[in-house]
Parts: sequence; structure tokens; C-alpha cells
Amino acid sequence: MFNFLLQGIFTGLIFSLVALGYTLVYGVLRLINFAHSEVLMTGGFAGYFFLHYTIGIHPVPSGLWATIFYVVLGVIISGAGGTLAALLIERFAYRPLRRRNAPKLAYLISAIGASYFLLNLFGKEFGRYPVATSQPFNNHVVVTIWGGQITMYDLVILIATLALLFSLDRIVYRSKMGRAIRAVASDMETASLMGVNVNRTIASTFALGGFMGGAAGFFLAINQGVSNNMGFKPALFAFTAAVLGGIGNVRGAMVGGVILGIAMFTPIYWLGQPWLEEVIAFSVLVLLLLFRPTGILGERLGRTA
Amino acid sequence: MSVQATAPKKRNLSLNGDDVRRMCTAIAGGLVLAIMTGPEGSISEPTYGVKTSLLTSHVIGYLIFGVILGCLLTYRAKVQDGTWRRIRSTPRRTLFERAAAVSSISRYALLAVTALAAALVTLIFADFSGPVTRNKLSVHVLAHQFLYTRTYGYLLLALALWFTVVNQAMRLTTYRLRSIPRPLFVLGAVIAIFFFSLTSDPFLPARFAWRSLNPAVANSLFHHWTTYLWLILGLAISLSWLFKRDRSSGTGSPRRSRALVVTPPMRFLTYVAAGFIVFEAPKYMSQYWQISLFQQIGVFCLLAIGLNIVVGFAGLLDLGYVAFYCLGAYVTAYFCGALPLQPPFHLNPFLIIPFAIIIAMLSGVLLGLPTLRLRGDYLAIVTLGFGEIVYVLANDWTTVTGGSAGTGAITNFSIHLFGVNYAWNPTNPLSYYYLLLGILIPAIFLFDFLNHSKVGRTWAAIREDEVAAQSLGINALKYKVMAFAMGASTAGAAGVFTAVKVGHLFPNTFILQLSISILVLVIFGGMGSIVGVLLGAIVLQWLPSYMNFHSYLGFQEADLYLYIGALLVVMMIFRPQGLVPSRRRRREIFDAEEGLGSADALGAITQEQPS
Repeated sequence: MFNFLLQGIFTGLIFSLVALGYTLVYGVLRLINFAHSEVLMTGGFAGYFFLHYTIGIHPVPSGLWATIFYVVLGVIISGAGGTLAALLIERFAYRPLRRRNAPKLAYLISAIGASYFLLNLFGKEFGRYPVATSQPFNNHVVVTIWGGQITMYDLVILIATLALLFSLDRIVYRSKMGRAIRAVASDMETASLMGVNVNRTIASTFALGGFMGGAAGFFLAINQGVSNNMGFKPALFAFTAAVLGGIGNVRGAMVGGVILGIAMFTPIYWLGQPWLEEVIAFSVLVLLLLFRPTGILGERLGRTA
Repeated sequence: MSVQATAPKKRNLSLNGDDVRRMCTAIAGGLVLAIMTGPEGSISEPTYGVKTSLLTSHVIGYLIFGVILGCLLTYRAKVQDGTWRRIRSTPRRTLFERAAAVSSISRYALLAVTALAAALVTLIFADFSGPVTRNKLSVHVLAHQFLYTRTYGYLLLALALWFTVVNQAMRLTTYRLRSIPRPLFVLGAVIAIFFFSLTSDPFLPARFAWRSLNPAVANSLFHHWTTYLWLILGLAISLSWLFKRDRSSGTGSPRRSRALVVTPPMRFLTYVAAGFIVFEAPKYMSQYWQISLFQQIGVFCLLAIGLNIVVGFAGLLDLGYVAFYCLGAYVTAYFCGALPLQPPFHLNPFLIIPFAIIIAMLSGVLLGLPTLRLRGDYLAIVTLGFGEIVYVLANDWTTVTGGSAGTGAITNFSIHLFGVNYAWNPTNPLSYYYLLLGILIPAIFLFDFLNHSKVGRTWAAIREDEVAAQSLGINALKYKVMAFAMGASTAGAAGVFTAVKVGHLFPNTFILQLSISILVLVIFGGMGSIVGVLLGAIVLQWLPSYMNFHSYLGFQEADLYLYIGALLVVMMIFRPQGLVPSRRRRREIFDAEEGLGSADALGAITQEQPS
């Protein structure tokens, strides 16, 4: 049982990384970024190619420093891939519409279009079936607590995710860019009157979310390989996590991911049917939207500081 | 047009940064298209696809396409803002206009000539679909054609065509119509004719007959490199036309509408011609296209007009629409005893239709009641989740649905009533098609009626401004749930037809991608306009199978969603109102862009109250 709980926590951490992308964009634009799953996928592919060209078919590197080297570099490269994808999506699917002040439906549809375009372009160029990634470290069991096993992979996720979440929190709440983001989130027009470059701030929001999504894609790629639709389900769960924590709220997304992970995986211990986890996740989403649509920590990126 | 005001200046090439950027974007678009249509890569050779698409002769056509598109866009933009004058600065009158202006006799002569031309077109059409076993064209053969009833249908078609042409031409002579650049008009007509000759493919036997009559023309038209040139030109022109910023009916626009004036006899004739095409023409198609007509076009028309109620009329985004389709299909399988879970009683598929409709409707209400209270964009994600849950249940709940192995055999439609015994069978696809028409056509008229009734006006009020609508005492939730349930029940009915025709179901049919592709049909055609949605469904469902059939421009079936994704983005940027928009929707979109109201029931983006 404890094993399921741990699995929930570590998967939940990845969800919260992805959920940040949703929550940041939602906080600023009041839009669900439907193309975020493709940010995840792009990051995964960037990580795949990084590991493929550095490690490739060589034996799995061992040693603490090698692990740190590959993970840090991999996260940065995947994050850069995710950032690039997010910026492209913003530039081509969002900005032209924003310039025209288009209705909201148009944004959702063009984001879906961008998502499908990227999904199938990657499928066309890199094949439509999952491919295993070269492993950057040995995935052995590090400790066993009450029958729950914590592997190297879990440990890496825990440390890297916490570091990423912490630095994002600092960026949003302490840096100049973060202040601009929060200003635009609370009132776009006033912020632009105060001299904030709204377009650049929105792009930086997408970039930040894209970096987190790309990093999450790296971890997913190590664990389950890459394929062109690897991002779809994690992104859906991550959206649920973002709503759970209160969409538009950065800290809420972090908490929401872990809670959703636990809520999804722990019941499987009793139910025994792994495919039920999706049903559970979406039932949680529907129930949540019914009873507390603002999530656990409330909404509004601008007002939670 | 303020062209005349700045008359003394000669046409000068004042290109600026915008033009360069436009040109670069168009060329880049061409290159992206080249990659999209290029060969596939693989993970072991990740650069193969892009390299082969961009570094071989494959790219040339797309570069030409990009340049042409860029030129056309630049030309139009320049003419519109008045820096360039039209190529023909003093508008030359066409032969038609000059002749019509001479005297009333010449006008009547002109009418006679066009009528004759229309009759000729009719003859050629009739000839097209005539019996295959002929060797030469003779008066005898032509006379023979008139013995077939379909000829009269074509005659009516030609008459409608002629009325339209003449009506429009007469308007040209009395009103001004200088805003379409003439070369574009002519080229567009040529392209239209070319595309039409392509569309004749479903009438394959007829075309073979025609080919055997004049093989030289047929070959030069269909098997020559010029085909590709025409295709590229046509694409560029139709795209630049399609994606122009059509502001003609925005608020306070000075331009007069160029819309056709539809007179009652014209409308009647159009109905007759449409009826003829819908009922009569399929009989002359090859079986491949008859199957495609039912399974690819007919069923999707039904699905599209159902989704149109939700997306187009009520302005809600439903991404799990296929779940109701799936539900309808599995209800059919259940009552036929094709699932592992046995029903209490077996039913004839005809009797299942109301069951499927009611069950889909109830599930729509159950899903809609709680979620439609919420902000609109949450609805999108909840419906997405619902679609995924239904798919997972169909795929993995083996004890009830049979799982990924699919269901057992589903009974076919049959009638045993009052001495009439008829059983539908898959060797005759048209029987299903006509049955489907029996539900599709009433649905079209019902939805059109609804749209123009109190309910339709309420939907419009809700999607334009929900708060204002509620302040007038409208129960927004009730009407939204109603739209949702109606869309769901239409999908449920479509599910029955698919289930019966296919014979056994696989969950893989009902993936999320299908929801998106139905959404594309609605958006491409024009949200809220039934004609537009039907047209979108017909064009977008027919075109892929046609292009796949011939592998035109290297089209591959697997890339369909790649094109669909790109089409969605481009459409939203350049022509959010769709191909044949409803007048109301178009005005709403423009009003929303000006900051007045909204064009959907999703809540505003920027006008959120700072509290």
C-alpha cells in the first residue's frame, strides 16, 4: 500500500511541474493552454536526443557525479526544448489572435490546432510508436520504508522537482520578471500603462511554464520512453492538478499535483485495476468543479503573493 | 475605394517591412507545407523527413506556391490600403456588360445565349453520366440521353445555375461591382472548373466513358504536370480568397454586401437541384464512393450538425462529443446482444434508435447539469475527460464491453411489417444511405427551425452576453443543457447507424481525435450555419479520401490530422467565422473584436473585473 502512496507522490511531483505551465498561462491570459501537452512531448524528445547522442548504446554511467551531470544537463536541454515549443505556440497560435482581440473560443480552437499539428508533425518525423530512452543512471532501489521502495529515479525526481519548484517560486514572487507577470495577471491594461511590456511578459510566462513542462517531459522520457502522444495523458492529469490546487495559483499547482497523484494511485491498491486511475482522476475533476471550482488554495496568480 | 482620389500618382512599388515580412511568412508557409507533405522520418534517422522534403525537387512546387501566395496577399493588401491602384485603373467593362448596355434587344439576346450555354452544359452533364457502352457521340446518343430521368434533374440544375449566373450578371450591370479584381475572378472560375472536373471522380464509370470519347483531352487534363501547376495556383488563389479579412458586414461598414439576391423561383430550383443531387446522383457512383458517401460523409454530416448546436448555436466547446457517438453505438451493440453483458430483451435496430437517442440525451443532461454551471472553458476539459473515460471503459472494461477485442456481430436493419419484408445488407450501401437521409433531412429542418425560433434566439442571447440574458429572466443553464442534450442525442443516433453498418465495434474508432475532427468540420464550414457545416463536412470528409485514393501531392492518410491541426490554426487567425458563416455569427465575432459582447458562452478574457 505504501508503495502505491509513494508512486502517487512521485508521479504527482511530475504532474505539478506540468500543472505550473497551465496555471501560469491561465493566471495571465485566463485561458487553458491546450497545447501544453506538446510542450511536454517536445521536452521529452529533446531529452531523448540528448541522451541518445551522449550515452547512446554505451553502458549506463554510474557514480554520483555522472548522474548529477546527466540529469542537470538533461533537464536544462529538455527545458530549453519545452521553452522553444511554448514560445512558438504563443507566437503562432495566441499572439495573432490577441492582436485582434478574438473571442475566447478562437483561442481554445487554435491551441487545439497547434497541439494537433505538433503532435502529428513529431509523429511524422520521428515515428508514431514509443521508443525507449538511454538511461542516464542506474535505477536501483535506494531505500525501503515500510515495504515501499524508493528507487534512484524517484530520488532524482524528488530532488530535481523540488529544486525547480523552489526556483520557480522565487522567480515568480521575487524577481522583476515575476513581478511583471503578476502585474499583468492582475490587470493587463494597468500594467501596460505602468510600462510593463505585456507581449514580452506573456511570452516569458509561456517560457517559464514551457521550461517546467519540458523538464517534466525529460523525466517521463527516462521512465517510459518517448512517443508523439506521450504528453496527452500526463497533461490532462496535470490540468486536473492545476484545477485542484486552484488554477492561476502557482503554489496551488505544486500542492495539487501531489494530492492528485496520491488520490489517483492509492485506491488502485484496493481496486486492483490500473486503468481505473484515469476514471478516478476525472471523477475527482468533475466533483471538484462541482463543489469547489476555485480549488484548494484559491485562484488568481496576482493576488496570492 | 479611394483609388480615384489619388489618381495622378503612377503605380509605384512602395514595399516596406510589412510586405517583406508577409512575403517571408508566405514562403515559410510554403516550406512548412513541403515538410508536411514530405516523406516520413523515423527516430533512428530523425532528419531524413525534413531533409528530403527541403533538399529535393519536392520543394520547388511549394516555393512557387509560397511566392504566389505572398504576391497575391501583398497585391490585395496594397490595393486595399490605397498605395497601389488596380492593375486596370479604368475599369473595363466585360462583354456581358457592354452588350447589356446597348439596348433591351441585346439584353434579351444575351439571356438567350446564356440559356443556350446552360442547356449545352446540361447536355454535357447528361452525356457524362450516360451509359458506358458508347463509341461515338451522335445526335442519336444525345437524344437517347433524354430518355433518362436524370437528364431532367441536370436540366433543372443547369436552370438553377443559369438563374444564378444571370441574376448575378444583371446585378453587375446595374450596380457597381468593381471590388473583385477581375483576373482573380477569372482564374478562380477556371480553378473552380478544374476542381469540378476532379470531383467527377465519384462518377468514375461516366468519366471512363467520356475518356474513351476524347482521350487526348482527358489525358492532358488528368495525367500531366500541368495538373500540379493548376493545383498549386488554385490552392494559392483559393487560400488568399478564403483568408481575406472579410469585414464587409461588420458594424458601420461602408461597403455594400455582395451577397446574392435569392428570388423565390431561384430558391425553389436550388432545392430541386439539391434534392436531385442528394437522391439521384449517388446511384451513378461506383460502390467505393457509395460506401464512402454513407460512412464518411452522411454519418459525419449528422454528427456535425449535432455538434453545431452545441458549438455554433449555444457557443459551448464540447471536446468529448465522440463519447455520445460511442454510447449510441454501444447501446446498439447491447440491445443486439453483441456485448458480453446480455440485455433483458433483444431489439430490432430500428427500435434501438429511440433508445440510443434517449440514453445519449440522458447522459448529456447528467454531464451537462453540473458542468454547465461552470465557466465555459472548464466545460471543454470536463468533456475531454468524459470522452476519455468513455473510451477507457469501452477499451478496458472487458466484462461489459468486450474490451479492445471489440464487440460481437450486430444485427442488421430489417423490416417485417404489414407484409413488407426487406433486410438491409452491406452489399448495397445505398440502402443505408437513404435510411440515413430519413433521419438527416428532418434533423436539418428541425435544427434550422429551432435556430429561428425562440430557443435559437435565446441561445444567441446567451452566447452574446450571458449576464445580460440572465438579467432578462432567461434561465441560461436550462437552455445550455438543452443544447448539450440535443447535440448528444444526435450523436447517439449517428452511433446506431455506424454500429449497424460496420457490424462490429472496436473502441479504437472512438478516440479523442475523432471529436476534434468533427469539431473541425463545424469550424471549417462556419459555426452556427447549417449550410456551412454540411458543406464543411462534405468537403473535409470527401477530400481526404479522394486525395488518398489518388495520392495527390504525396498525401498520406496518416498525415490527415497534421493538416487538420494546421487548418485550425490558420482558420482561427484569418477566417474565424468559417467558410460559409451565418450572418449573425460573423457579426458577433467582429463585434467581440471591437470589444462589444462576446461570441461564445465561455466568459470574457480581458474584461474581467478587478475586485
